[in-house]
Amino acid sequence: MFRLVGDEETPFVTVPPPRLACRDAPVIHFDNVTKVYPNQNRPALDHVSVDVDKGEFVFLVGPSGSGKSTFLRLILKEERPNGGSIHVAGKDLSRLSNFKVPHLRRRIGCVFQDFRLLPNKNVYENVAFALEVIGKPRRFIRKVVPEVVELVGLEGKAHRMPHELSGGEQQRVAMARAFVNRPMILLADEPTGNIDPATSIGIMKVLDRINRTGTTVVMATHDAAIVDSMRKRVVELEDGKIVRDQSRGVYGQAY
Amino acid sequence: MRANFIFSEVWIGLRRNLTMTIAVIVTVAIGMALLGIGLMINTQVSSMKNYWTDKVEISVFLCQKNSPFDKCKKGAATQAQKAALEQQIKGMTEVERVEFENQAQAYENFKQQYANNSVLVAATRPEDLPESFRIKLKDPENYGNVIETLQQAEGVSQVIDQRELVDNFFGFLGTLRSSALIVALIQVFAAILLIGNTVRLSAYNRRRETGIMRLVGASNLYIQAPFVLEGMIAGMIGGVISAVMLIAAKIVIFDGMQNYLVLATRMTWEDVGTVIALTMATGVFICMLASFVTLRRYLKV
Repeated sequence: MFRLVGDEETPFVTVPPPRLACRDAPVIHFDNVTKVYPNQNRPALDHVSVDVDKGEFVFLVGPSGSGKSTFLRLILKEERPNGGSIHVAGKDLSRLSNFKVPHLRRRIGCVFQDFRLLPNKNVYENVAFALEVIGKPRRFIRKVVPEVVELVGLEGKAHRMPHELSGGEQQRVAMARAFVNRPMILLADEPTGNIDPATSIGIMKVLDRINRTGTTVVMATHDAAIVDSMRKRVVELEDGKIVRDQSRGVYGQAY
Repeated sequence: MRANFIFSEVWIGLRRNLTMTIAVIVTVAIGMALLGIGLMINTQVSSMKNYWTDKVEISVFLCQKNSPFDKCKKGAATQAQKAALEQQIKGMTEVERVEFENQAQAYENFKQQYANNSVLVAATRPEDLPESFRIKLKDPENYGNVIETLQQAEGVSQVIDQRELVDNFFGFLGTLRSSALIVALIQVFAAILLIGNTVRLSAYNRRRETGIMRLVGASNLYIQAPFVLEGMIAGMIGGVISAVMLIAAKIVIFDGMQNYLVLATRMTWEDVGTVIALTMATGVFICMLASFVTLRRYLKV
């Protein structure tokens, strides 16, 4: 299989793993959270309570419109809940000033269905961009980026442009970018949605590799095959309510 | 790293909206040049006022043999009238000193004043010019009833307050200044709208980048700095162009005015420098503010 990263022997020891403010607290804590978008009667999330511990791998499943994306957006404080409280990385988001939101987001990596790479930058530059814009020194960037590019399995392709890569490879670049700052949490919103099943397995291996470094992974997905094969915790949402929360679950058990 | 990164972003932004950038630069340049000209006229007027209020006199012209004034039907002013008039003027509390100008002196002054116009000088004889008393007031702003009293006096054809002439000219300059400032204000308004649009375009063009920057936790300042700097740099280039225009205005208009108008005092380079610094600061500040305010609307952070 692949080598575990995060061990003392690996080159990653230069980057200390993210620390919790309080070690025992869950990394993500939703307490009775309700979110209603303006001009809509039905809540996107309806009194949702869920805890995700450090180092967990959680699948968020459910039909479209069940509130998966809202759940992820709430974690990033892109949306505010109408009720309940959310703690992320030990911080109460309702008491986190806008000024400090960027610092919260530095501890959260994000991967999307549509990759969101910069088309005029090559692989290396796309990954480096994430560090440049948070003001990391050049020396640090030169050291860390190649390591992460290798971790996602793109060694030797650092100077390719996104349009020269396959969908799977582009998603790997996006994952490298999300992970390069060693976030505490990685949020993945249907990362395999645009990718064929064979390539998806590679993507899942990278996510698993990232998870094994101690990063909490929350992945929203429709892909039953992947959920079934990974045997991780599954949280199922339906109409904004949690209808199933199962460790080592499968996609379709409720049906 | 930071500075490098931000400046490369600024450069890309300015290049992508080149036409909008040029529009901003031109608008700012014209607006700031007009603002500068308004300020320069202001400086000119106040320096001229200082200079001239000390020098203005009231001229009391006396009747001559053929004076076309109603009061002078009785013929030229007599010696007795002149003496009485001089006594009367000297007795006034507002008057500092008074000098008598006879026809020969008047002719000398006339020749000097119209040195350029030889035909006029040749056609004028000393006898045609009126004798006059030149009155200097203690306080040029306070002429009390000096003028009215002297207007009534025997043998006086006309009383002319030079201050009125100077004030007329200042009034003209004041109108010029107000018009320049009003147009400048309109230009500033146009510049603000243009900058707003440029920034909006810029933000739209770079929504991918800014989206990712937000996602990976770049600070608001870091995301906004390239846009604000873009506006500032456009403003600065506009300011430099307006500075060139102001220097040209100083040489062509203000120094030129010196040659045609006896009234003008020379504007110093120091004054021009102050005006340029002021207009440039205003231009850059306006651009910065406009960028910043638009960003609040179009770049939700």
